[in-house]
Amino acid sequence: MAAGARRPSADHADLASERSRLWRLLLWPPFVIALALLVLPQAVFVWMSFHKSLGMGLVSDFLTIENYRRVLTDPFYLHAMWMTFYLSLGATLINLALALPTAYYLARLRSRWVSYFVVLLLVSLFVTVVIKVLALYLVLGKEGMINHTLRALYLISEPVQMLNSQLGVLIGLVQYTLPLLVMLMIGVFQTIPSSLEDAAEVHGATWFSSLSRVVLPLAWPGVIAGSLIVFNMNMGAFTSAVLLGGGRVLTFPVLIHRKVILDVDYAMGATLSTVLLVFVLLVNLASVLLLRERRGSGSQRAATVHVS
Amino acid sequence: MTGMLRDWRLMRNGFLLAVTLFVYLFLLGPVVVIAVASLESSMAYHFTLTPENPSLRWYFAIPGKYLHAFGVSFLVASISALIATALGAMAALGIVRGQSRGAQLLQTFFRLPLQIPLVVTGVVFLQFYYLLFDLLGVSLLGKLAGVVTAHVFITIPYNVSTVAVVLMRTGTRLDEAAESLGATPWSAFRRVTLPAMKPGLFVGLFYSFIISFGDVPVTVFLAGSGFVTLPVEIFHTLQFDWEPAVLALSTLVVLFSFALIVVVQRVVGLDLVVPQSRR
Repeated sequence: MAAGARRPSADHADLASERSRLWRLLLWPPFVIALALLVLPQAVFVWMSFHKSLGMGLVSDFLTIENYRRVLTDPFYLHAMWMTFYLSLGATLINLALALPTAYYLARLRSRWVSYFVVLLLVSLFVTVVIKVLALYLVLGKEGMINHTLRALYLISEPVQMLNSQLGVLIGLVQYTLPLLVMLMIGVFQTIPSSLEDAAEVHGATWFSSLSRVVLPLAWPGVIAGSLIVFNMNMGAFTSAVLLGGGRVLTFPVLIHRKVILDVDYAMGATLSTVLLVFVLLVNLASVLLLRERRGSGSQRAATVHVS
Repeated sequence: MTGMLRDWRLMRNGFLLAVTLFVYLFLLGPVVVIAVASLESSMAYHFTLTPENPSLRWYFAIPGKYLHAFGVSFLVASISALIATALGAMAALGIVRGQSRGAQLLQTFFRLPLQIPLVVTGVVFLQFYYLLFDLLGVSLLGKLAGVVTAHVFITIPYNVSTVAVVLMRTGTRLDEAAESLGATPWSAFRRVTLPAMKPGLFVGLFYSFIISFGDVPVTVFLAGSGFVTLPVEIFHTLQFDWEPAVLALSTLVVLFSFALIVVVQRVVGLDLVVPQSRR
């Protein structure tokens, strides 16, 4: 009876590959939907960007690269792109500097407090960015908490301008993406067993060297992936730039929003969007290539420490 | 020697704790300030640490459009999170269990929406919907289906990778064991694979809901005439006209998020919600 139930191994292999084929069928619906949502709208859109705007949301029938020439030669647009880039990069770096220690601490904390910490972090992740911006008004604005307190203490006579500037936008971006990055980094640190660090320290490694030679090389791919998610979110966000920039910080997303909603210039809106998209894709590609180059040496170093 | 080590440990933990507390102060301090400010009953738009005339006045004066927008947001986030998670789980099963060739490439493909700036996604879908209207007469702008479609697009990536990670970690041995003990493939899936997928499914569902619920840069282009999500409604308020009841409203939204997360913690546990957790 038991022997009869056991299948010959050739049959088993056939069955397994038959099973894989069935599983692969499941792939089709999400693949087709994701492909359609990715390709169809983008195609319409890139097509649109090669037309001249006729106003009122209409575009010309003929093709032109005029829009691209305008965007890529006008110092105004180039400066806007540069500003979008350094604000997003700056916010991402500040986020990393804050998120890495926090996530490491929470991932290694052995206490019942962890779950309270995580609950609060999730609340912050949950609260939509517009509410965070509103809160920043109350804290950093001219009549806000900090200026109010400083004036009450006679430390300043005039309110300090913190919002309606690039600094305000930067703080807004950090608020927007910090909780997500901390969560992603907790996930990364949790996959690295703390026993590796203990082993390194038993063998005389200082905390710093066990971090830099064991933890970070292992965490590196996750850190880069998380940073890119956050960087991309910053590149595509305009809430904080619109509300905290005081109409003065014209990043690319703000310009796109204005072109499409206020000027109803879809051709130019499409061109700006395509330029932003290509720029972001290039940054992502460059980071992935850079990572691949580093990964070889990184894991090797980790391995040496582990063995020695 | 050990004393020095202990000092080091203390300093290190002190440093980490200090950064952590700063992060929490930075993230949650402003939210607390909103709650305090919402109790001030005068029309003034400035901060005072102690409200001069504390009252719940604004809580009873929240205009109906915000409550409606809250309902819209909840509906949109629930539906799109469910769809995105179902699609993501199917894709992950297909990639991992199907032993698809080019699994890496497929995963990269499903992650592509994360590389498109959200504002671009918003504009892209706006123009796509215009075109659909011109060609087919189908109107998706300012409609549930239109907003949900775009939200599914931006949240699928979170679901594919979270479920795929869990599936790769569990492997197929338990399924095979169940089947060799006489389980049908369907019951092996339902009683072995599905429970194993649960952590991944929850993380995906949770993140999709949060991202959909809070989104502005995509939704601002697609919402309209009677179908506006809460963040977009608040965005318009902050951009164009001030409404003091927004503080009370925001406080309620924060309390709602808090309550929802505590429920999730009680029901499924939060270690499920940390992405790529060790389970």
